[in-house]
Amino acid sequence: MRYHIENKVYHVEILPPKQDSENLERDLDVFAEKYTRVMDSGYCACITDNAMGHLSFQGTEMIEELGLPVLPEQVMIHLNTFHTREDLDNILSYCVEKGIKYLLVVSGDGSERLPRLKPSDIGVQGTESITSVELLQYITREYPGKFVLGVAFNPYEPEDHEFAKLKRKLWAGASFIITQPIIEKNAVVDKLIAEYPDVPVIVEAWMSKKLHLLSDAVGYTIPENTEYDPIATLKLLHQAYPKNGFYLSLLGFKTQYDLIRDLWV
Amino acid sequence: MKIVVCIKQVPASNDAKIDPETKRIIREGQKAIMNPFDTYALEEGVRMKEKYGGEVIALTMGPPKAEAVLREAISAGADRGILLSDRVFGGSDTWATSYALARAIEKIGDVDLVICGKQAIDGDTAQVGPGIASHLDWMQATYVMAVDSIEDNNITVKRMHEDGYDVCELRLPAVLTVVKDINTPRVPTLKGRLAAQKSEIPVLKPEDIGADPDKLGLNGSPTRVVKTQPPEPRQTDTLRIEGSPRECAQALVRELKFRGLV
Repeated sequence: MRYHIENKVYHVEILPPKQDSENLERDLDVFAEKYTRVMDSGYCACITDNAMGHLSFQGTEMIEELGLPVLPEQVMIHLNTFHTREDLDNILSYCVEKGIKYLLVVSGDGSERLPRLKPSDIGVQGTESITSVELLQYITREYPGKFVLGVAFNPYEPEDHEFAKLKRKLWAGASFIITQPIIEKNAVVDKLIAEYPDVPVIVEAWMSKKLHLLSDAVGYTIPENTEYDPIATLKLLHQAYPKNGFYLSLLGFKTQYDLIRDLWV
Repeated sequence: MKIVVCIKQVPASNDAKIDPETKRIIREGQKAIMNPFDTYALEEGVRMKEKYGGEVIALTMGPPKAEAVLREAISAGADRGILLSDRVFGGSDTWATSYALARAIEKIGDVDLVICGKQAIDGDTAQVGPGIASHLDWMQATYVMAVDSIEDNNITVKRMHEDGYDVCELRLPAVLTVVKDINTPRVPTLKGRLAAQKSEIPVLKPEDIGADPDKLGLNGSPTRVVKTQPPEPRQTDTLRIEGSPRECAQALVRELKFRGLV
């Protein structure tokens, strides 16, 4: 992950088509186009896993079915706890086979339609449910040395609780951290960076103009008409966090993509 | 085994609107989904096929756009789909619907097992599965929560009830209706979805399945919907509690007690 920061490799989020897509061919084309563009730019394509609980196709099956190239330094797969053991192993085995090494391991939002890993599925005892910690432990145990594992850090959660959780995640095998989206210098993120100087921290920048969509993440209501300039914010974050990596969520490929090229100097 | 899974396309539950004249659910322009209980029926059928071999056929009756749930069923593991669609089927109640489905099952031939969801979320009658069994004169078990075994042309199932479950053995062919405790339906794969898009979905009319038109539609339906009303929308409101963890916990307990929830 240090390589990404040193070489100014943006992490660009790409959402796979939803299961209920009304025009799957078009959505597959759009996905392939975005993925290819990220590869060509030398950035890292970060493919979400049923983000926000919306049933979507898996990153690995998108790559397989669309015959997309995998450049090991340029692909990151999100992986949450809403899988059967069989599906989980299929995803992990495919990643090993294709040389996908970066995984962002998260608990996930889930949905009624998604199966959740049970403790017995992955040999865990003494807990009622599986979180990213147990999933990390499973991956490091069953696939030793195969993956570089990242975890999420939420600066909007109660601080003590979030830092305690992070400690468990790092103990369980995580070696890099991606924050929840921030839109300005954030004191909790500053503390995170100070406390873990040896762990690469990737700052998530919110690239949608619809700032109010962040309301759930930050825990308070952001009015719908709030003016927000994502590019200006990204510039500001680069100044605030010159030694960190950047994860761009909901980046506009038509209007913003060409504008980010020269921002990271 | 040849397994038929009966599925129904229903309006997404939050979108249900009732035509005040006909008292029927307005389906045009509504987002449609596979009846959630049918997803469990489908999964169980696919699991049986994977365990015992054979074929799973998804069967539905509805307007041409109901073809979408058959493709969804194929993407989730069904081998093929059959759509019963014709104006004559329109207005069928549960008796006429189960008659049509039973005729289609006979037409398919050599079916060992029919699996339905316990009920559809639009009508909530839970009558179509038992109706099919009645029309076919087959054994049936409703509210099935587990299939224990299939041996010597007999199927053993657990049938859920309020105080536990019954273990029932049925001779095949038989009809099961299942509850959602039976399994966790798989999420369709992209490969499956792409294959489903290319599948041919035959559309059968009453004459194709040997159905008597007088037993279909409104004429063949002994029941009439006299009045239908949409449910009152659920009230949702959000209360944000702020303060220290202790203050938040105290405020939460106060609020829950005030609302009679604890």
